[in-house]
Amino acid sequence: MQQRVITIALLIGLCFGLSLLASTMTNWRMPDNQQGYAPEQPIAYSHRLHAGELGIDCKFCHSAAELGRHAGIPSSDVCMKCHRYVTASYDVTQEKLRIADDEKKLLDEIEGKPEDQISAETMQALKDLQARADALKVPSSQLQKLYKFLALDEETMQPKEGATPQSIPWVRVHNLPDYACFNHQAHVAVGVTCQTCHGPVESMERVRQYATLSMGWCVNCHRDATRDGVNGHEVHAATDCTVCHH
Amino acid sequence: MTQLPDKSRTADAALHSLPVEQADASSPVSRRQFLEAAGFSLSLAAVSGCGRAPVETALPFPVQPAGVIPGQLQYFASTCAGCPTACGLLVGTRDGRPLKMEGLPEHPLSQGGLCAVGQALPIGLYDSHRLTGPLSAGESAEWATVDQEIIQVLGQIKEQRQAVRLVTPTITSPTLQAHVDAFLAQFENAKHIVLDAVSSSAILDAHEQTHSARVLPHYQLDKAQVLVSFGADFLGTWISPVEFTAAWSSRREPTEEHPQMSYHVQVESRMSLTGTNADTRFTIAPREQHLVLSRLAHEVASLAGRPLAVSPPLGGSLPDTEIASMARRLWEARGESLVLCDAQDVATQIVVNNLNHLLGAYGETLDVNRPSQQRQGNDRDLKQLIEELGADQVGALLVADVDLLHELAAQPALADAVRRVPLTISFAQREDEFASLAKFVCPDHHLLESWSDAEPISGLVSLAQPTLRPLGKTRSVLESLAAWSGQPATTYEALQQHWQQAIHPRRQAAAPAEFVEFWERALHDGFIEVAAVATTGGEFAAGAMEPPAQHSPSDDFSLLLYSKASMPDSRHAHNPWLQELPDPVSKVTWGNYVCVSSADAEKHSLEDGDIVKVSAGDGGSEIELPVLVQVGQHPGVLAIALAYGCKGTDRFAKVGPQWLESRPTVLENELVGKNAAGFVEFRDGARQYNRSGVTLTKTGRQRELATTQKYNSLEVPANIAPRGGLRRDVVQHTTLAAFAQDAHAGAPEQHHDNKTQLWPEDHPKSGHAWGMVVDLNKCTGCSACVVACQSENNIPVVGYDEVRRQREMHWMRIDRYYTGEGDAMLVDHQPMMCQHCDNAPCETVCPVLATVHSSEGLNEQVYNRCVGTRYCANNCPYKVRRFNWFKYEHDDSLQNLVLNPEVTVRSRGVMEKCSLCVQRIEAGKVKARSHGQPVADGAIQTACQQSCPANAIVFGDMNDTESKVHAAQENPRSYHVLEELNVRPSVSYLRVVKNREEKDRKGEPHIG
Repeated sequence: MQQRVITIALLIGLCFGLSLLASTMTNWRMPDNQQGYAPEQPIAYSHRLHAGELGIDCKFCHSAAELGRHAGIPSSDVCMKCHRYVTASYDVTQEKLRIADDEKKLLDEIEGKPEDQISAETMQALKDLQARADALKVPSSQLQKLYKFLALDEETMQPKEGATPQSIPWVRVHNLPDYACFNHQAHVAVGVTCQTCHGPVESMERVRQYATLSMGWCVNCHRDATRDGVNGHEVHAATDCTVCHH
Repeated sequence: MTQLPDKSRTADAALHSLPVEQADASSPVSRRQFLEAAGFSLSLAAVSGCGRAPVETALPFPVQPAGVIPGQLQYFASTCAGCPTACGLLVGTRDGRPLKMEGLPEHPLSQGGLCAVGQALPIGLYDSHRLTGPLSAGESAEWATVDQEIIQVLGQIKEQRQAVRLVTPTITSPTLQAHVDAFLAQFENAKHIVLDAVSSSAILDAHEQTHSARVLPHYQLDKAQVLVSFGADFLGTWISPVEFTAAWSSRREPTEEHPQMSYHVQVESRMSLTGTNADTRFTIAPREQHLVLSRLAHEVASLAGRPLAVSPPLGGSLPDTEIASMARRLWEARGESLVLCDAQDVATQIVVNNLNHLLGAYGETLDVNRPSQQRQGNDRDLKQLIEELGADQVGALLVADVDLLHELAAQPALADAVRRVPLTISFAQREDEFASLAKFVCPDHHLLESWSDAEPISGLVSLAQPTLRPLGKTRSVLESLAAWSGQPATTYEALQQHWQQAIHPRRQAAAPAEFVEFWERALHDGFIEVAAVATTGGEFAAGAMEPPAQHSPSDDFSLLLYSKASMPDSRHAHNPWLQELPDPVSKVTWGNYVCVSSADAEKHSLEDGDIVKVSAGDGGSEIELPVLVQVGQHPGVLAIALAYGCKGTDRFAKVGPQWLESRPTVLENELVGKNAAGFVEFRDGARQYNRSGVTLTKTGRQRELATTQKYNSLEVPANIAPRGGLRRDVVQHTTLAAFAQDAHAGAPEQHHDNKTQLWPEDHPKSGHAWGMVVDLNKCTGCSACVVACQSENNIPVVGYDEVRRQREMHWMRIDRYYTGEGDAMLVDHQPMMCQHCDNAPCETVCPVLATVHSSEGLNEQVYNRCVGTRYCANNCPYKVRRFNWFKYEHDDSLQNLVLNPEVTVRSRGVMEKCSLCVQRIEAGKVKARSHGQPVADGAIQTACQQSCPANAIVFGDMNDTESKVHAAQENPRSYHVLEELNVRPSVSYLRVVKNREEKDRKGEPHIG
């Protein structure tokens, strides 16, 4: 009797477990597979905007990818190469451009005309444009965070006295275990594109892990590359264990 | 049967503690069912819980320093300050932390080599036992208050004209020396006392008499064709071992075209590292040195046609014929010969100077015009200080970088005398014996945290640069002294100022005339050569050669104090890598011991590990230590290593795994080893490291020595050898004469067939085939490579008990073998690491393919696959595999900074072994590929190869016919260890060639 009760209880448990599994089957992953991981970042940096719309090369910021094992998350001073001058958000910048265009149109209209011939509407329109421009929030809330981490004065872009710059605690998206060594330099040097492993980052608003980054996935690519070459070049992509595990 | 009820009660009690309500058979759920259910729910939880890994943040620099590439090693040229030798150093830093010390290849002295102490620097840096700020009366304090108090007391001392004494070891830094002088110049009665733990003050004193300049000559061993050393362990610890090893080994490379090499004779009392490498070795009693040298001088003088007025007395352990032949060889090579001696006796050293003068060595093989500054100890000053302290005549006592009370343990009243000194200041990095008595402790930086400079040889100046910010609130000695002199300056400012004033004006014609450029070149290169400071005197005056004193034979022992190559100095006592580094000769780790000759051991029926009491006889010092029976030691001599028994080393009590049967590394109320400095006596104006009239008594107790090698002979025991007395071919020998006739001499007869292959040749070696060649004729066994490997490959420290159980984790070991007996004994050192066999026996037995062959000839170990069957280790003929019996501690987050991120930290239960530094190979390949170039020969260096002071290790691509490793494998001296097994190793060895006459010795059929 006792035995039967336990067996039934176990069976019910099994069914329950399987049903749980079935519901999650769609995004079923092997242990440690972090594919699709897209954590929120301390600053909502958009790769879509920078790499996609603005077309900045990946290696402009991740310059270490050509030089060493880690591509590296760029130091904050890399951001400051542009954002010392570009302090507004993209939308605000676009809006400002539109205002400037409108303003230019109006100014072209009234150019050369004596002051008394300019209509009140035009003057009002110019004033409205000015008000619209003033109402735009500069700098952007995300860039303000950057300046705060760097302890910069937003007006002068000079370091605040007595404050020390802090590192931005970016959340790591692509995180290989410590026993696996991926060398960016080795792959960039033979012409493997960033997108091969990282996916269409230029279309990602927030970066997510595109590939499984599992060993099988690495080895498949290495075998294919040895057979087919990379960008028409012959390569020898080794599949020895110690190439990655040492 | 009567105990049954008891048993069942205990069993019951145990079962009740299980998380089951009732554990007997009548219970609704049995133990088995419970476990089944638990296992099922656990696996369910595992499957449904394949969630995200823990969130990890990545912190980039706010502002990236120029030149830093994340994860890439950056090298900075610097100067090692592990000892006063001041070798060139390349500090490998990664992401801002120094990780790996390497030799500076361009450095004129060390020539790219670095000793074990230099390699072990990083673990001393990341040491949580270092003081993090100043102490005032034992309590932590602020620098400002400490400075204020010290300046006030110094002011009073100045007014009252009390004596100020500053004790340091040899200072090679010209800037620090200038600041020491400036600090002491404030006071009327001030003196700088140089205390070298192992002093060479007699050599300096002897030159004061013969050359009217108190200098230590710069020995140029690379110019010495015939070299006779009396006790000087120049390959191990004497003065400048890395430089001497490089110079010595440069003359130990006979080739088919030029079958020539130097002739090295060692006359000594104990078995030193240098003695094991000599062509000919004789043993004498320590007190016979003067006699034998006098007789040698007499012989050489007769050959020179300038016979000495007084002929020395006869006698001694060395036969006349040997002395005559030594004299003849020295004289024949005059101008290219050299006599060295470690005696702390001025009369003996004067004989040595006369000998070297007769041989025309001055200006050739030893240089007094550009003298060495690596030993400046003046023992007479030290003696005076002890007297002053005893008489309460010292107002302020400052001690830097040496533990005064540890080194002067022979002066029992000294501690009380120090307590009575009004102002005592220690600069110790850890609380040593003196620091614990000192009123103020002003901890110095670790040398990797501080600017410094050095002038080891007059005219060669080098810079040491900091490679990270100080981890604690420490301050360099120079800054402390400057602050108390009323002229506070940072070390960097002080260095630049001194260099501008004193070093730059000495520049040579080729050096930049602008100071900034001069400084930058020195900083980039690590060193710069300038004009030597002219020494006064220099003309040879024979000096009075005293006749050697006659010693009556006695039954008492002579005691010899020495320092180990693995622990040359008590400053490194807190370094676990050095503590666990096997002594190159005895192979003992963790502590010191009494070396007893085989004859004495037999006479007194002593065995390894018997604890004996050694007493000086005069009611003075005594010490209880385990015995080590050392072959090749002169009968009647005991030898004990210094630099042990240091305060604070009881911290290592719990080093290594703690489990049911583990024994502590340090016993309760004890330290690592015992301090033998109590036996050092002042005699003839110098600290003496040998003394006679020592007695030895057995205590009946035992303490097993933690030895890494238990079998020491290459001779096959007669009971298992078919024809008796065979010699194993693991280390092959020949003599220079035989080599000159036949470059293949010494190769054993081939009894085996290496053509037949068990495996098909279906994997041709294309691409790279990595291989290594070790020249056994150059290798001295110094063990620098062992620590280099440990540092590179994250090898854990396992402690006394695990070493005792033969479970040390070093990937590289140096086997040491003895063959023969007496003066004809041969000693061999053989570095042994994974041989990366083509037909690897380990690979065929692994059930999980955790050890496999790479396409480049490497035998790979895959930790994640390994399940720990240990079949591979059993099947390895070279016994180079190491098993992780435990998860060795990685709890100390500061110490973990020493770990190399390129190498996996292995977990419990997996096998590991030498990978031929595969992380360096991969990095080298990537570097070449990114430049679109093939891997250049020599571009990839393994850690052991890089550090080797003797340049004995060659690594490279065997498929590259232009490579050095290919050439070395084609060398007629090249052979494989255990070739008959046909495992086809990728590591070859070059046969030993001894420059000695062939002696008919039984049991060595392969010699000659």
